[in-house]
Amino acid sequence: MAGAIALLKPRMAARRAATSESLVIKVIFITIVLAFFALFLVLPLVVVFQEAFSKGLTVFLKTFEDRATAHAVWLTLLVAAIAVPLNTIFGVTAAWSISRFRFRGRSFLITLIDLPLWISPVVGGLIYVLVFGAQGWLGPWLQANDIRVIFAIPGIVLVTVFVTFPFVARGLIPLMQAQGAREEEAAATLGANGWQMFMRVTLPKIKWGLLYGVILCNARAMGEFGAVSVVSGHIRGKTNTMPLHIEILYNEYHFASAFAVASVLALLALLSLAIKTFAEWQFARQLRQTNM
Amino acid sequence: MSISIKNVSKNFVHFPALDDVSFSVEKGELVALLGPSGSGKTTLLRIIAGLEFPEIGQVFFEGEDVTELSAYKRKAGFVFQSYALFQHMNVFENVAFGLRVRRSADRPTEEVIQQRVQSLLETVQLPEQARKLPAQLSGGQRQRIAFARALAIEPKVLLLDEPFGALDAKVRKDLRQWLRAFQNQTHLTSLFVTHDQEEAFEVADRVVIIDKGKIQQIGTPNEVRSHPANAFVEDFLGLAPAGP
Amino acid sequence: MAAKHLRKVLPGFGLTIGWTLIYLTLIVLIPLSALFLKTASGGWEHIWGTVTEPRVLASLRVSFGVSLAAALCNGFFGVLAAWVLARYEFPGRKLLDAMVDLPFALPTAVAGIALTAIYAPNGMIGSLLMPYDIKVAYTQLGIFIALVFIGLPFVVRTVQPVIQDLSAEVEEAAATLGAGRWQTFQRIIFPAVLPSILTGTTLAYGRAVGEFGSVVFIAGNIPGKTEIAPLLIITKLEQYDYTGAAAIGFVMLVGAFVILLVSNGLQSWDNKRRGLA
Repeated sequence: MAGAIALLKPRMAARRAATSESLVIKVIFITIVLAFFALFLVLPLVVVFQEAFSKGLTVFLKTFEDRATAHAVWLTLLVAAIAVPLNTIFGVTAAWSISRFRFRGRSFLITLIDLPLWISPVVGGLIYVLVFGAQGWLGPWLQANDIRVIFAIPGIVLVTVFVTFPFVARGLIPLMQAQGAREEEAAATLGANGWQMFMRVTLPKIKWGLLYGVILCNARAMGEFGAVSVVSGHIRGKTNTMPLHIEILYNEYHFASAFAVASVLALLALLSLAIKTFAEWQFARQLRQTNM
Repeated sequence: MSISIKNVSKNFVHFPALDDVSFSVEKGELVALLGPSGSGKTTLLRIIAGLEFPEIGQVFFEGEDVTELSAYKRKAGFVFQSYALFQHMNVFENVAFGLRVRRSADRPTEEVIQQRVQSLLETVQLPEQARKLPAQLSGGQRQRIAFARALAIEPKVLLLDEPFGALDAKVRKDLRQWLRAFQNQTHLTSLFVTHDQEEAFEVADRVVIIDKGKIQQIGTPNEVRSHPANAFVEDFLGLAPAGP
Repeated sequence: MAAKHLRKVLPGFGLTIGWTLIYLTLIVLIPLSALFLKTASGGWEHIWGTVTEPRVLASLRVSFGVSLAAALCNGFFGVLAAWVLARYEFPGRKLLDAMVDLPFALPTAVAGIALTAIYAPNGMIGSLLMPYDIKVAYTQLGIFIALVFIGLPFVVRTVQPVIQDLSAEVEEAAATLGAGRWQTFQRIIFPAVLPSILTGTTLAYGRAVGEFGSVVFIAGNIPGKTEIAPLLIITKLEQYDYTGAAAIGFVMLVGAFVILLVSNGLQSWDNKRRGLA
């Protein structure tokens, strides 16, 4: 019996698909990657929730009863509620103009749209200070008219818009380019105007790419730290978003509370990932079913 | 080198690809595996090459059981339907590849490689293209380079998967004749897969007709045409009894 | 091409391009030009003077230097991860694949405090390393770890599609020609994937250079040692040294721009080689 098995083994080992590695190598690779992911991705996530509840559920809940925290949550939602729709509209119009038409400077435009992804968020905040700050271009005029942008909510909204506007566009442009304009052209020949064409023909085709972009845009908008840090002024209860509030709590050694707020954002991040995966899956299905 | 297939069966996840297939190819023969798409002929070829493994059955090269041997040990030259040339290497390096990856004990010197490759390029009538990239060649030229590359390793058997499928009619005809002439000259045992019966009959010594994973008939082109074994063969070859 | 024809058939060009340009001008171009003008107003001597302040130089070295190390680390592990995710089947693969994008979705501040909690002297891993006198938090090693976290998705997501596009037939051809697995990897697979590895690593580098939120907690921000350039910009702003802040911002912008150019160049080299462009 053992002899038969021994005979089997070398045969199994020799038989290997031409395009794959030996099992040993595969296992080693997978283990290394799993360990790497566990260390760098999973562990931080686990720690957030662990620390959030380290002082128990009561402390966790009490954190959100605090006025400053509640305000931070409200502000974060407000900023996202303004920035995301604005950037979505921008993303759609930019994707339409770039993917459906040829014109000079098109690739320059695409590069320009990618810009905020390359700039440090702090530099992003900096340039807005240079325009709207007390010593900035519009500084004197704003002061004269008693309008506060920097160190106030409008500034936060502006930099958030700056930092997150590429996401929807970047999700849509390659998608709409790949899909081509055939169906829209057909719609045109059938007498549809621009709006009808968009609503009835384009939108159904791009809906998953749109969802994908919106989710990423939202996640970044709610989580933005560097740029908002520069323009916010960190005024407790007034100009702190959740990420900034986390920083304050952390610096004041209220670790459990800091992580409590962080855990909400982490949960949001996980939710975003889930929706993103769902959107990708649905999109793949759409591709298979309609072959477009 | 002779090839012998014994009772080979292969299942894919959704369907049985081959069902108890047995036949042999004599040394120096040029045999066509003929059948409609989905008949299992390519699967069979890949099993012979070591690119797939059968659930049941055995493959013998000159009497030696190679069923469990991996592709890179079998020394069966394979020409893919899509050529599968190495895009980032020029023609010379593509053809020389099989020689360069040999174990240092068996590896020929640079001079020998140069000679061998040059001579192969001449055999396939593309002596001037050595420095070109595959992307710069036409379909027919790429096909011939794929040939040259497979021949470089001095294979004992040559396997071709629908080698002329992606080419236009004139190029196909030329290459077919070239293959036949080449085989006449070298007597290299060759097995090729096709769904084109004209091609099979024109080129092959014997034809193996396959449908739905089962062998329908084996014989010389004349034998098969004059004595079709069953209704499928009749139908496939268009040999239906005289109509109205 | 059919451009003119398209322009007549499909409506909305004027409107969409108009709105796009207005938006971009207001949101991007005008603020950016404020940076350039502010820097220019200080003059080259001022930029040079600011940049060569020891503290500024050190911070730039930290930002650009540690980012490079992190990008290279991601280059290596990212390729491995891309290979495993693209080629192997194992339980949990889909979950792992979704996890790769976590650094995209997770707020940088959250990552920052989490990493600090782990690697601080009393943290989960920090405490394990203390006996060996290895400090992670408040050192450049801590910054390195944070930047590896940030850059992970860039390499994986850039290389993964290329690996998936690799034709199995080419690898099979190499096998039929007698190449062993390692040889096939060396001569066939690696050359095909290399450009995307370089692109992904460059992307990770560009991202890491400007990173703020995830670094600023774990770094300790010791001037000259673990202070990153973005923090210095904020410091200067707090001191109302707008020109100094602008100078550093300008240098970072130029650095990021160079990295962007290199990345685009690599991308188009790769496209040409693969016959896509």
